[in-house]
Amino acid sequence: MRRLRVQLTVLLALLGLLVVAWGAAIFLAARDAARSNASLQTTVERVDELRRAATRLSRDFVTMETTRRAYLLTGDEAARQAGARAEESAVRGFRRMRQLSDRWRSLLPLVEGVATEYRAWVRTGQTELAAREVDARAAALVAARGNADRHFQALWRRQTDLEDQLARAQRASARSQDRTYETAQTLAVRTALMMLGALTLLATWLRRAVGAPADALRSASGRLAGGDLETPVELGVENELGAVASDLETMRRRLAGRMEALERLRHLSAQVVGATSLQRLAEVVLDGLRPEVGATRAILGAARPGGDLVLRALAGFPDPGVADDIVKADADIRQVLPLETLRAGQVVGLANLDRLAASPALRDLVARMGIRSLALVPLLSRGRFLGLLALCWTERHPLDREQEALLGLAGNQIAGAVEAALRLEEAERAAGEAQAVFYAIADGVLLTDPFGRVTAMNRALEALTGWTEAEATGRPYAEVLPLATEQVDGPVDLVSRYGRKVPVAVSSAPIFDARGRVVGGVDVIRDVSKEREIDEVKSALISTVSHELRTPLTLIHGFAELLVLRDLPAERQRSSAVEILDASRRLARLIDDLLSVSRMESGRLVLDPRPLDLAVVVERILSPFRAMAAKHTLRTKLPTSLPVVWGDPDKVEQILTNLVGNAIKYSPGGGEVLVTVDADGDAVQVSVRDQGIGMSPRDMGQLFEKFYRVDREEVRRAGGTGLGLYITKRLVEMHGGRLWAESWPGVGSVFRFTLPTSDELAGSGR
Amino acid sequence: MKLLIADDEPAVRALVHVTLEGDDYEILEAADGVEALEVARGEAPRLVLLDIMMPRLDGLEVCRQLKADPDTSDIVVVLLTAQAQERDRDQGLAAGADDYFTKPFSPLALLNMVERVRHNQSGAD
Repeated sequence: MRRLRVQLTVLLALLGLLVVAWGAAIFLAARDAARSNASLQTTVERVDELRRAATRLSRDFVTMETTRRAYLLTGDEAARQAGARAEESAVRGFRRMRQLSDRWRSLLPLVEGVATEYRAWVRTGQTELAAREVDARAAALVAARGNADRHFQALWRRQTDLEDQLARAQRASARSQDRTYETAQTLAVRTALMMLGALTLLATWLRRAVGAPADALRSASGRLAGGDLETPVELGVENELGAVASDLETMRRRLAGRMEALERLRHLSAQVVGATSLQRLAEVVLDGLRPEVGATRAILGAARPGGDLVLRALAGFPDPGVADDIVKADADIRQVLPLETLRAGQVVGLANLDRLAASPALRDLVARMGIRSLALVPLLSRGRFLGLLALCWTERHPLDREQEALLGLAGNQIAGAVEAALRLEEAERAAGEAQAVFYAIADGVLLTDPFGRVTAMNRALEALTGWTEAEATGRPYAEVLPLATEQVDGPVDLVSRYGRKVPVAVSSAPIFDARGRVVGGVDVIRDVSKEREIDEVKSALISTVSHELRTPLTLIHGFAELLVLRDLPAERQRSSAVEILDASRRLARLIDDLLSVSRMESGRLVLDPRPLDLAVVVERILSPFRAMAAKHTLRTKLPTSLPVVWGDPDKVEQILTNLVGNAIKYSPGGGEVLVTVDADGDAVQVSVRDQGIGMSPRDMGQLFEKFYRVDREEVRRAGGTGLGLYITKRLVEMHGGRLWAESWPGVGSVFRFTLPTSDELAGSGR
Repeated sequence: MKLLIADDEPAVRALVHVTLEGDDYEILEAADGVEALEVARGEAPRLVLLDIMMPRLDGLEVCRQLKADPDTSDIVVVLLTAQAQERDRDQGLAAGADDYFTKPFSPLALLNMVERVRHNQSGAD
């Protein structure tokens, strides 16, 4: 994967080499140029110097010629001397010329040629001079002069040749210098062209290997940034950029996966909103998360206000009985549950439950649940810890970071729905409770809207009013609940639909909503007929008892006072004492009867039942009556064999004594009293028949009521508390028997009662 | 002087008898309200002792009828009751009764009251 870097390194190295080569070429060319330039310069300078020396020599030649001629003409000594000086200078000039031209072999012959001519010229010149001194003859002179001129001209030609030669040499050096510069320039230009080519190649390669893929990467990352997760990222190059592209592609795939998961989560949250029960919610969540994380079972726990968790729903478990196991292991679970972490909103993965289950109870539980791994997903809504979603795997399943993040998100998504479902369940429960209370309450309850129309009524009120809830709903409440009262603050009667009056106690209250507006009313109607009846009975009883007690007391008090304060005749004294005695007995009997009634009514009177032979009991109770009742005939009709009855001997005797006593008491004219005992199915029936005053049907109806006494003089005269028959009837009923009477005014009465045989279970508990 | 004792309890009537015996009183008896009204209208006694709780017609009603009838409204009505509550006394006085005895009563107090009525009558005569 280091290909690009290697390629770049190699390229840069090549480029560097090129630059170095270019530099070296230029450097070498410049050095050569500089070097040849310096030699040329020396040559040029020498040539210049030679030319100057040649020129000076020429000048000396001219001076020597002119002075020689002047001397020859004039003989002027000064001119001869000037010529001598020029001659010396020419000698030095030749020396210099030879020195300078020793490097140019081509020049030396020229210089030597000039020197030879010079020497020839000087000789002729000296000849001429000698001719002048010796003999100033003109012929010789002219001849001499002619020679000297010729030599001078030859010299001058040679000198001119030399100078020409020198000028040519000077021009050649200049040309050579120019050639050196041209070579260096050519080299520099060629190298530059090569480098340009190399750079072009480099650029082309860079564009292919780096530029295009970089552009592709740029546009791919631009697409990613723009949210396009569909188009794959591909470069087709195998260098570092290709690696970047493949990383980008991986990133794109994961992002696309995440987006898809998020999309599914969004679906999940849409679905959970529709789930109204926690059970349904757990199922929906499990279905939604199974494709994402592979969990196959889920547990939903809700946090109680105290902070501990309560199991609320299971999903995916083949055996729902696991719920009981979880509830049983509650304490152990609470010990290992990382509640603090969960409360902080952190998903906790427990990949290996086998190792984690610390206590045997938990190990059992995990085995029974059939799971190997757990993920605990906290459910937080607006920072409040609502509960826990536990996802279960049947195999080992460590959570990766992506799944953890996903579950965290899922937890947030469903927390709201969990909260709503909890609220709904709570509200439904409360509503159910309220409704159950409403309908089950024994008092009548009526709900109305703010306009007084019935919105609901319970069973008790249906029974009281005769309206059904369905009929009453929507009607004005006064129609359903007509109340009648005779006086303000007095007792209130409810008039039912069928005209029945029921004494009621009504309490009413408005119903307010959260903002304090009246949204209806509630009326609670209690049937107080029992209470009122009890009140009436109580006050009647008190008044009766008071009356019954005061009458004998009046007699005792009255006769005793007369005995003490009045001087009565002896006969009157005795009758007064008898009255006192009778009244005292009556008082005592009354008190006994009252106590009996009280004991019976409060359930304190307990029978002591045993098998009894009724024939024996009848004979026993009749004997004292036989002794007392002179006017009456007491007869019995007993079968030879009787089933044994089950009864308390004292109480059975009391029953018989009361009935026989009444028969005698209310047949003041005497006559027969017949006591008959007969087997009657499972019971034995006893009847007591008299030939007394009898009773009207009206009296018969109230005969067995407390303190009821037939309103007749004979009855009054007979005395009595009005409690005897009431007590007798209660005693018979306590034995599990029945007491009833038949009577005809003026003819007599029959009182009959049954007692169960000992085979039959007696009502001994009463 | 004629007086009527109306009480459903024979022993009470006997007590009144013994109390007033020998003092020249003509004592009439009635065992219930209806009988008491009949006797009172027929015999015109000077004083009626009326038990309140009587069969057929109670003492208060007898008193009311006696007081409502101009022929009998002069009769002194004294109520006898076994009920000692204020309510009964008020009811009795409202019915027009002249006096009121609560059982158990003192025979001598009754005698004194009757004597007083006789003296008032003789004074008025």
